Amino acid sequence: MFDSSAAEAKLELDGVTSGYGPVAIVRDLSLSIRRGEIFALMGKNGMGKTTLLKTILGLVAARGGDIRMDGASIVGASPKALVSSGVGYAPQEQPLFQDLSIRDNLRLAVHSDRELGAALERVFGHFPFLRDRLAQKAGTLSGGEQKMLIMARALMLGPDLLLIDEISEGLQPTVIARIADALRAEREANGTTILLVEQNLNFALDVADRWAVLKLGEIDDSGEVGAGSRERVLEHLKI
Amino acid sequence: MTLLLDIVTTAAILFIVSAGLLAIFGVLKIVNFAHGAWLTVGAYCAVVAGGLGLNPWLALPLAFAAGAVLGGVTERLIVRPLYARPLDAILATWGLGIVIGQLVTLWFGRDVQFTESLLPGTIHVLGTTYSLYRIFALGAAVVIGLGFAFLLEGTRLGLSARAIIMNEALARALGLDTARIRLVTFMIGTGLTALAGVLLTPLTSVDPTMGVAWLIGSFMLVMVAGSSFGALAVACLLFGGAQVLVSTFISPILGGITVAVLCALVLRISSKGFARV
Repeated sequence: MFDSSAAEAKLELDGVTSGYGPVAIVRDLSLSIRRGEIFALMGKNGMGKTTLLKTILGLVAARGGDIRMDGASIVGASPKALVSSGVGYAPQEQPLFQDLSIRDNLRLAVHSDRELGAALERVFGHFPFLRDRLAQKAGTLSGGEQKMLIMARALMLGPDLLLIDEISEGLQPTVIARIADALRAEREANGTTILLVEQNLNFALDVADRWAVLKLGEIDDSGEVGAGSRERVLEHLKI
Repeated sequence: MTLLLDIVTTAAILFIVSAGLLAIFGVLKIVNFAHGAWLTVGAYCAVVAGGLGLNPWLALPLAFAAGAVLGGVTERLIVRPLYARPLDAILATWGLGIVIGQLVTLWFGRDVQFTESLLPGTIHVLGTTYSLYRIFALGAAVVIGLGFAFLLEGTRLGLSARAIIMNEALARALGLDTARIRLVTFMIGTGLTALAGVLLTPLTSVDPTMGVAWLIGSFMLVMVAGSSFGALAVACLLFGGAQVLVSTFISPILGGITVAVLCALVLRISSKGFARV
């Protein structure tokens, strides 16, 4: 069992503010995630969870504060630079190239075709159905299969830091369980640090070591996963 | 039989002339209204090659290189800041086309220039005697079409370009260098257009405004084709064929506007044109 409790910080957010146009969506947010930790960030719709992931990845500019990976600031770094330095991303919005084959969707995650064979073998271990369906167009997969393809693509290069945006949305429990197994296996094998944005409480608290609830762009509460976590999170998610 | 060859070779010439514009529009979603000027630049590369006493075929790589380098500079300095403002990009490239035309006039004058024919003479084909060069143009169109098919379907650059066409935000999120891919695509498009300018020289007079005559037809064909080279080939065959038929049986003047009118009609019926071909 991987123990991240004594590990140093992999990702640190220090007073981060970001948003779109004049509106700040993420406000003065500070967070530290340890190397090899699975951290679940929860919150209702519109609270800034996706914006926070995009800010970390450089898709949305940080207006204030600092974001550090392995102690070095990554504010202003391009998504290309961050992906090259080991960040994987499983987006929620328009997450696949629907008209491209499964193979081409996965191929886009590697830097050169020389890496493709080994990377494919990595993800076939987690999602074996992909092996026989590489030529199939991504848009013809079922909803659950598409989510597994998104996860597979994010895992292609064995990322050090994995950012996952509501991967369990609309999925059957069996598919969610398979994704959870893949995340645990990656963490066990490679010490992958995972920031999991979720609304599915059962899934998030099942795989995570720690949790936080985001409310209007700020951390409303946080804690270690354990007895009473579910009730505390539910209290914050009440409408 | 001559009519059939005219139809096919006219379609081939339209495809050659429009391919560079489509490469840029398909990936970058920018209409390069300097397209006509790049054709002119290519044609004058043939003039320069002839003036230097070079083998006329050397004008093809010379034009591609000149078009690509100038295209790279244009993308970096003029087009890149305007990707989010496509209407402004049309105005900027239109203005650039005028500037290029004036610079060509400044260096070469307004007079019509002549170049050595790449392939003079005729060939006996399908029971008729026909221009060897127009048959060559048909082959060149096939090579360009297959080349693009290989580039798009068989290379990582092509895969990245298709990803950008489909979903640029996702392509960026996956770490694709979208700026570099846009630059390379623009350079390929302008290089290819300049190369097309050389290929036009045996068929049309070379003067500083020669590209303008091809701009509207190319623009309309690309609008109908969307981002598909297959659709462009179909559009060129159908509308190029109609142009030949109208020119032959009704009036060459009406033939000259046939492509633009038919493209406008297709776009009126379906805003996506032939993009699904």
